[in-house]
Amino acid sequence: MQSAVKSPGSQSTAGLSLVERSWQQLVAFLFPPETDTWLAVLRIGLGLQVVVYALFLRSDWHYLLASSGKGLVGREVGEAITSFDSPLIPTLGWLVAIGRNFNISEEAVLSVTWVFLLSAGCLLLLGLFCRPAAIVAWFVHLCAAESGGLLAYGADSLMTTALFYLMLSPLPDRYSFDHWVAKTKPKNPRALGFWRRVLQVHLCFVYFIGGLAKCLGNGWWDGSNLWRSLIRPPFTAVPPDVLIRFRYVLPLLGILICVLEVSYPIFIWIKKTRFTWLVCILAMHAAIGFLMGLYLFALVMIVMNIAAFGVVSNTTTPQAAAESGAQ
Amino acid sequence: MYSEQIRGAWFGIHFFLLTAVCSAGVFWLIAEGSTILPSTCDEYARKAELGATWCLGKQAAASNLVRRCIATYLHAAGIQAGYSFFAPNIPSQHRLTLELLHADGRIEYELPHVRSKAAALRLDTLLDKLAEERYEPVREVLVKMLAFSVWREHADVKKIRATFDSVSSPDMNQFEQGKGETFQPMFSFDFSVSDAQK
Repeated sequence: MQSAVKSPGSQSTAGLSLVERSWQQLVAFLFPPETDTWLAVLRIGLGLQVVVYALFLRSDWHYLLASSGKGLVGREVGEAITSFDSPLIPTLGWLVAIGRNFNISEEAVLSVTWVFLLSAGCLLLLGLFCRPAAIVAWFVHLCAAESGGLLAYGADSLMTTALFYLMLSPLPDRYSFDHWVAKTKPKNPRALGFWRRVLQVHLCFVYFIGGLAKCLGNGWWDGSNLWRSLIRPPFTAVPPDVLIRFRYVLPLLGILICVLEVSYPIFIWIKKTRFTWLVCILAMHAAIGFLMGLYLFALVMIVMNIAAFGVVSNTTTPQAAAESGAQ
Repeated sequence: MYSEQIRGAWFGIHFFLLTAVCSAGVFWLIAEGSTILPSTCDEYARKAELGATWCLGKQAAASNLVRRCIATYLHAAGIQAGYSFFAPNIPSQHRLTLELLHADGRIEYELPHVRSKAAALRLDTLLDKLAEERYEPVREVLVKMLAFSVWREHADVKKIRATFDSVSSPDMNQFEQGKGETFQPMFSFDFSVSDAQK
């Protein structure tokens, strides 16, 4: 029979076990054993994203990123603003300066960086030289995004983040050419689980903050923000006359977007609601892509969501279980 | 196990920084009075924003190594800005009109332009940024460069007047009544040949 009065020693033991239990729960949350299917989705999706990014900007690459007097506004202003934050942030100016030492013109350096970016995207798609391709894609995209910082928008920072996580994740996955050619060893399932967790938690931040900020604006409650965003050039894919016909649906859609985003960190973790939330979020991004012309933004968000929550976790494969048990 | 401890520590630091960035963004929106919250919240939000930016080292001198390292990491990870896209409300749209005065006295109107739709979206982003107060110090330089990008295609132009307007879209009722966009001039600059050569 247990004593009703606990000694100070037993209280501290109970306290310690609570701390230990919490710690174990945290570790279990951070390092769930996972297969690499989600990583393959992220790699292929981001490969496609990088290829589309490079091809979309092909005709304006030099014009947007050339120095003053040759391009639209000149790279220098964006780079100066970036270097005010920190001179350690890489920019295309670094690559141009290196090229100058080898008598390579700025135009040639910009062309080479574009080719590198496109090639890195293609290699990621194929799964060939996965890690170097992910590093090159992240670095070149970061340089371009920072040099053209004045011309950058949300899709750029999300793309940098996604490439940053991909670069750090345990590549290559078993669907890649690298695995097929070099017969690489299966990766640590707990490390795979950790990087997927990072992506999942990051998406929760994105939607919660985005949803919270929208809830604080009156225009999302009466549909006027949705109206304004859809008739705002250059996003006018739907004629305003057509939108007017749906005027009573717009407030509902506005509220639905707020609710969907702000509650994402709760309902995406619950098994019963995960599929619904994921489908709604994917539909929202598809709509943003088609109706507002924000294709790059839509694509990167769809890729991140599918990789984070869309791929069914299959940790019961004998390989994963054995690897997990070996840790 | 050792690598898991390092990963765990990185996770904590990374998401702490992301929390600080996102909080600073949301508190800034509240402090600016652009939300539905009462104005009494503004002062508290300003203080909270300062607290969040302090965590990011932004109160330190620009040359401070810690501040620079944090900023570099934030940019490298793409988490230097929060995620309040299209929030709390859709920002106004902006337009830069260039009035080109040719040597023969002709006047032509042009807008800065790019080739692709993807780049056009970026140009619009730039114009929206120009309207922001924090870009005020570089506003004239940027407008001059945009004017110069058009000037290169019109060698005989003597003078350019660049007018920056805020464009207000009609709401649904106004649209039904046939009202279109309205333009509110914000600022304008005159550039001559000598400016372009500087």
